[in-house]
Formats: sequence, structure tokens, C-alpha cells
Amino acid sequence: MVRFFAENLIVLSLVAIVAFFGFASERFFSITTLSTLLNQLPALTVVSIGMTLVLISGAIDLSVGSVLALSAGVIGAGVVLFGLPVPIAALMGIVAGALAGLANGSLGAYLRLPIFIVTLGMLEVARGLAYLVTDSQTVYMGAKIQAFALPIDGLGMSASFMTALLLVIAFEFLLKSTVFGRQIVAVGSNESAAAVSGIDPRHVRCTVLIISGALAGLGGLMSSAYLGSADPNAGIGLELSAIAAAVIGGTSLMGGRGSVMGAFVGVLIVSVLQIGLAQIGITEPTKRVTTGAVIILAVILDRWRKT
Amino acid sequence: MTRPEPGQAPPRIAARRIGKSFATPVLRDVDLEIPAGCIHGLVGENGAGKSTLAKIIVGLERADTGSLALDGRPYRPITAAESRNAGVALCAQELSLVDDLSIAENILLYTSTSAFKRIRRRSAHEKAARALVAIGLDAGPEVRVSRLSLAEKQLVEIARALATNPRLLVLDEPTSALTAPQSDRLHAILRAEARRGVTVIYISHRLRDVLTICDRVSVLRDGQVRLTESAGALREETLIREMAGADADFDAGRRSIEGTRPVHLRVGKLRSAALPHPISFDCRRGEILGLAGLAGSGRTELLNAILCLDRRTGGSVTIRTASGATEIRNPRHAIRCGIGYVAEDRARDGIFRDRDLAFNVTIAGLGRVADRTGRVVRARETAAVSKLTADLGVTSTGIDQSIRELSGGNQQRLMLARWLHCKSRLLLLDEPTRGVDVAAKLAIHEELVRLRDSGVAVVAVSLRPDPGVVEPEARRRVSPRHVAPGGHPGGGVQ
Ligand SMILES: Nc1ncnc2c1ncn2[C@@H]1O[C@H](COP(=O)(O)OP(=O)(O)OP(=O)(O)O)[C@@H](O)[C@H]1O
Ligand SMILES: [Mg+2]
Repeated sequence: MVRFFAENLIVLSLVAIVAFFGFASERFFSITTLSTLLNQLPALTVVSIGMTLVLISGAIDLSVGSVLALSAGVIGAGVVLFGLPVPIAALMGIVAGALAGLANGSLGAYLRLPIFIVTLGMLEVARGLAYLVTDSQTVYMGAKIQAFALPIDGLGMSASFMTALLLVIAFEFLLKSTVFGRQIVAVGSNESAAAVSGIDPRHVRCTVLIISGALAGLGGLMSSAYLGSADPNAGIGLELSAIAAAVIGGTSLMGGRGSVMGAFVGVLIVSVLQIGLAQIGITEPTKRVTTGAVIILAVILDRWRKT
Repeated sequence: MTRPEPGQAPPRIAARRIGKSFATPVLRDVDLEIPAGCIHGLVGENGAGKSTLAKIIVGLERADTGSLALDGRPYRPITAAESRNAGVALCAQELSLVDDLSIAENILLYTSTSAFKRIRRRSAHEKAARALVAIGLDAGPEVRVSRLSLAEKQLVEIARALATNPRLLVLDEPTSALTAPQSDRLHAILRAEARRGVTVIYISHRLRDVLTICDRVSVLRDGQVRLTESAGALREETLIREMAGADADFDAGRRSIEGTRPVHLRVGKLRSAALPHPISFDCRRGEILGLAGLAGSGRTELLNAILCLDRRTGGSVTIRTASGATEIRNPRHAIRCGIGYVAEDRARDGIFRDRDLAFNVTIAGLGRVADRTGRVVRARETAAVSKLTADLGVTSTGIDQSIRELSGGNQQRLMLARWLHCKSRLLLLDEPTRGVDVAAKLAIHEELVRLRDSGVAVVAVSLRPDPGVVEPEARRRVSPRHVAPGGHPGGGVQ
């Protein structure tokens, strides 16, 4: 019994939070809530997947929010200024994200600069670039791109949402059941022993940062599809939500431990909390206090679970 | 509490019916009484519970049952700081220095009783310098710990414990990385401390040392003290028999190598920053080559240079593979060429602490348990790891147990298992039996001999060839003076 609780703690917390809002607000169990949730989820989910991998490898990526905006900007500029077809522009956005990740990885992993600082720098650089490509304006794209975020007939889910779900499953598999996943864990758990075991820690960290960048780029596509426009101010503070989701899901900031599935539940908890608190009429300051407290609580519970 | 009668001091430390279980019972009703000024040896097989008992005494673990008394007073430490204030210090089996701080800072961190006292640099350095001179470590107090060799770190760890002026000093395998002169020096210090009334608990697998330095010795087996006897009345064989609980067979066969087999590894004029004088030697298939030498004489550096873990500044290392002679380019390439490396510092370069046995064994050879798409096949992994742990006699609750919960000797066996899993054709072993009990030394020895007979080449580095493990099998030895800085330029093999 105790064991069951301990192992499913975060899922149970999610259920508890949902139940709480169900009681507290009549409007909570409604189509509006669900659709808000489904619209907001995909971008945070894919970014959190990348963040989880990076954290497990013993690094951190602070640039994801800005990279998301950069990708959105590239997509907006591509579609509106250059009249490119949406799929091409979308691909360019993801590539832009991957390139930012490559820059993070080569500087942080190969040149051995502190990754924290490198990605902090990238946070500014990518944000600036996002303003440059969009000329600091929100670029309106409209229906052309919104299709990605609209529910598909008969499925009730958007392509955006399904992509995010598939990626959660794929990356959980990558982490838990593949050689590369083991290598990520090994590098995060003991870098020097990993090197002696024939793993190149630089290569692993660089790859993980590229993945994180590309996923942030995909997040840019998802968020502009949802908004119907490319907003250079998108994703401010997103890195913190992603770190929070990962940590709530049991990922260690010290590296070497974590799960993508857990991070997804973390995303759900963070999002449900945001929406639910807004619905029961809690003001922004109180909302922040509550969200912060939940993150800290999650870490305490995690510690308890391990001992 | 009754006052002790005059003339009959209470024991320095008394343990009564100490019991401790993790998944399974580790200690059961351990009784131990050690008077002041006594050096008390504690021996037992890997996993017998020696380190656990030591940790209980300093408050790093808590006993489930039983009680402790220090100089006749009940003593229940629940943190290491508390026991330190009571005058009890531990040198743990796994070193616990902070790598990024200097020696002086490490000593200060450990010895200071108040966190907010201003640090007086000068006095801290003087204190550290004194402690280092006493232990015979030739390094300045300002040197960063990360720059020290494993032996030097172990000496700092001991110096640090001594600097607290303990009345009870617990040493858990203090000499496992030390050379003979270094441990002789330590032993002299311990005798002097004992004369001043300090009580020492000395845990070691070097039974000869235990018998020479200790006044009394206890054997721990199956969680109980099986024997406590004054050292003068004991012989090594008795200890081994008591540890194993049965007659151990000591007839390690010697076998010389007939004929010449092809050279498997050729090291030519190898140099690196840490290895200023070029080294050349080769190792043949089916040969165990012993590299004997002093700590700090470049043995570890030599292995690191062979594997390209350190950057080479000259020379070459070639290994025979299926496709002819290949020059080793990087550590990954070395492993692909069939080289396995058991590093000296297990905690730093070996184990993944929070991971299970299976992860730790297969990490260097995941290709052997993965399918073509790079997916790790659990069933294959479980089968491979279970077989290896059974072959090497690893005691654990299962292959999904965290490696940090294993005793030191069992962890060491897993380091060897990692390369057996890879089916390495050349093993580079830096102190392969560090912290391993006598029976397991023999088992590892037999395993190495078996591997050798199947054509594997083994280069083994050993500080002290005495327990007759790797050394008698070695056909040749690279003498330390060829490896030592300032030794023969252009050294070679005798
Ligand atoms: N934290 C822990 N959790 C679970 N089991 C543990 C833990 N610590 C120790 N053990 C188990 O307790 C037993 C005794 O371990 P201990 O480290 O005391 O052995 P030891 O006598 O010091 O052996 P060695 O000579 O190999 O160092 C081992 O079987 C080990 O697996
Ligand atoms: Mg031990």
C-alpha cells in the first residue's frame, strides 16, 4: 500500500489536484478547460522533454524559451515575408532551434565552457534574433498555420497534441531502453567513469543539447500554430516551467536520474494548476505563490519517496 | 549507572548486541569491547559488515538494536559531527574529501567545531602542514585535493582524522592504496597514538599487517563476532579459516608460459605530460604482465596514456585486432579494440553510484545486450549480468540493487565483471584486488589465470605483490625505476 503510493506519487498528486479543482469550481470539468489545456500543453511538453534529457545528462538549458521564440519568428518571417509553404517554414524553425542547440553544445560541451552560462547567453542571443527576424512585431499568419493546432475531425485531438504525445513515448523509450539513453544517464551520473567506459561525455551532452534546441524549435511551431501568429515575446520564463515540470516528475538537477514520462505528468500538474487557479478566481500573485510552493513540495515528496 | 571501580577503567568503546539489517540482516548481536590504548583489528570477508559496524560507531548509520558506550557512558551518535565532538573519528573506505578544496581547507572543514568561526588562514595552514609532515606526505597544504593521487588522498584522509585528536580512531582499509613504506609509517604513527591512550579500530584485508600491528583481532562472519583473540596467538591461516567458515584452499598453482605467443600490445616510447620519460614494453597473448612500482611512480599515468585518457606527447601504442595492428586513438576506440580497464580509483572512475548492478556491468559493452536498432534487450542483459555476478561470487539482493549498497569488495568484483562482459582481449588492471578479501582475491586470480589460458593478455599494476595473487603469474615485471620520473630515459622491460 505504502509502496503503491510511493511509486505513483506524482500521478496521485495530479488526480488530487484535478479532483480539488473539480470541487472548487463548477466550470472546471468543461470543454473550455479541456481545450485550453490541450492548446497549451504541446509546446511545454516538448520543451520539457528536451529539458529532462539535458538535466539527466548533468547539464542545463536555460535558452529554451528564447529558442522557441526564435523558431516562431523564423516560421513567421518565412511564411509572411518570403511566402514559403508552411511545412518548409516549420522545418526551418526546427532547424534554427537545432542550430542554437548545436551552438550551446559546441561551446558548452566541446569547449568546456560552463553550460549554465553558455545557455544563459543563448537566452539573450536567441531572444534578440527573434526580435530581429520579426522586426519586433507579432507576425500574423492566420489559418494557414492554425490547422496544426485544431482538432482533427473524428479524433478530437490536434496534430500538435498528438505529436507531443508521440514524442513523450518515443523519448521515454529512448531514455529507458536504448544504448544512447543509458549513455545519457551514465554521463550525468559519473562523467569520469563514463569516459573510462568508452563513452564520450562531450558527444553525449552536445547531442542532448541539440535535441533540446530542436524540440524548442518544434515548440515554436506549436505555440505559433495555437496563436495563429509568431510572437517574438513567446516563451518568456518557459525554461523555469520546463525545469519545474522535469523536477516534479522526479528528474534530479544533479544529473543521472529522471524520466520523460514523469516530466509529462509534471507538465500536466503545472498546466492544470495554472488553469484551475485562474478559474477559481485566484489572482496572479497568489497563483505564483501556489505554483512555487507546489514545486518545492514535489521535491520534498521526492526526497521522502527515495528514503 | 554504576561507577567503574578504581583501577578498572571502563572500555573505551563497548558495543552490546548491535544489530543492523538492510534488505537482509548484516549485523546480528555484535558484542565488542575495546580498552583504551588498544589497536583492535577487525577482519572478515567482503560484505561481512565491517564498514557497516564502523559507520554505526561514528553515527553514519544507526543500529536497529543494541547499544554503544564510550568510556562507560552511553553513546548514541546520530551524525558524524556528533561523534567527532565526542572524540571519535573515521577514515572511511570510500574517501570523502572535497576535491575542489585545498588540503588545508579539507582538514579545516573536518576539524572545526563551529561553522561561523573566522578562518585563520595562517593557523589552518600550519595545522595542516604539521599533520602532513607527521603522516609523511610531501605536499603543501595549499594543494588542491583533485591534484593528488589516490594514495595521497588516503594519507590526507588519515591526517585529517588524526588532526581531530580522537580518543577512538576507526580506520576502514586505510592502506588499500598505500605502498609498503607508507603503510609502515602509518603503523608507526598508530603505535605512538596507542601509547598515548588512543584506541584504534583497524579494518583491513591485509592480514599480515593486521597481525603485526594489532593487539587484538576480531573476526566478523555472518554478522557476528566469531573470534576475538590477542594477535600474538593468531596465525594468518586461522584468520582465513574463521573468515570463510571453512578450510580455504590456498594452493594457487603457478604456471609458466611455454613458447612464445604473438605480441598483443606494443607500447613504444610512450610519453605524456605526467610521464616525462618514454616507456616501452609489450605484452603477449596469454600472458599476465605485472607492473610493479611505487605509488606516484607513473603506473596509473602509464595506463591512462595507453588508453588516451591522458593526452600523449609522444610514442605509440598498437594492439592486434582481427584487422591487423591498430594504433589506439581514443578511449572509445580502445574499448572497441578489446581493451578493458579497471581503474585504481573505483569511486571516481569506476562505479555509477546510484545505478543498479546491471547498469554498472553492461555500460561499457551495451552493444552485447542491444539489438541492431540500439535497443537494450532486458532479457539478454539480465542473463548476462546474472551469470557474471554468480561466477564472480558477488553478494547482492539482485541485479537491480543499487551498487552503492554493496560492500567495497563486491563493487570491485563488478568492475572486473564489466570487462568480462565485454570479452576484452587485453585487460589493464590497476590494483584489481583493492579491498577484496582473501578468498575473492583467489577467485579473481583464478579467473585471470583462466582468461590468460584462453589467450587474453593481462597487464596488472599492483602496489604490493605480497598476497601472492597477480604477481607469481607475471612473467616479467616493469621495474619502477623505468617508470619513475627521473628514472631511466628510454626504459624498458627487465
Ligand atoms: N545502504 C545499504 N543498503 C543496503 N544494503 C547495504 C547497505 N550498506 C551495506 N549493505 C549491505 O551490507 C553488507 C555489509 O556491507 P559492508 O560494507 O559493511 O561490508 P564490509 O565487511 O565492509 O565488506 P568489504 O570488505 O567488501 O568492504 C553487504 O552485503 C552490503 O550489500
Ligand atoms: Mg567495507
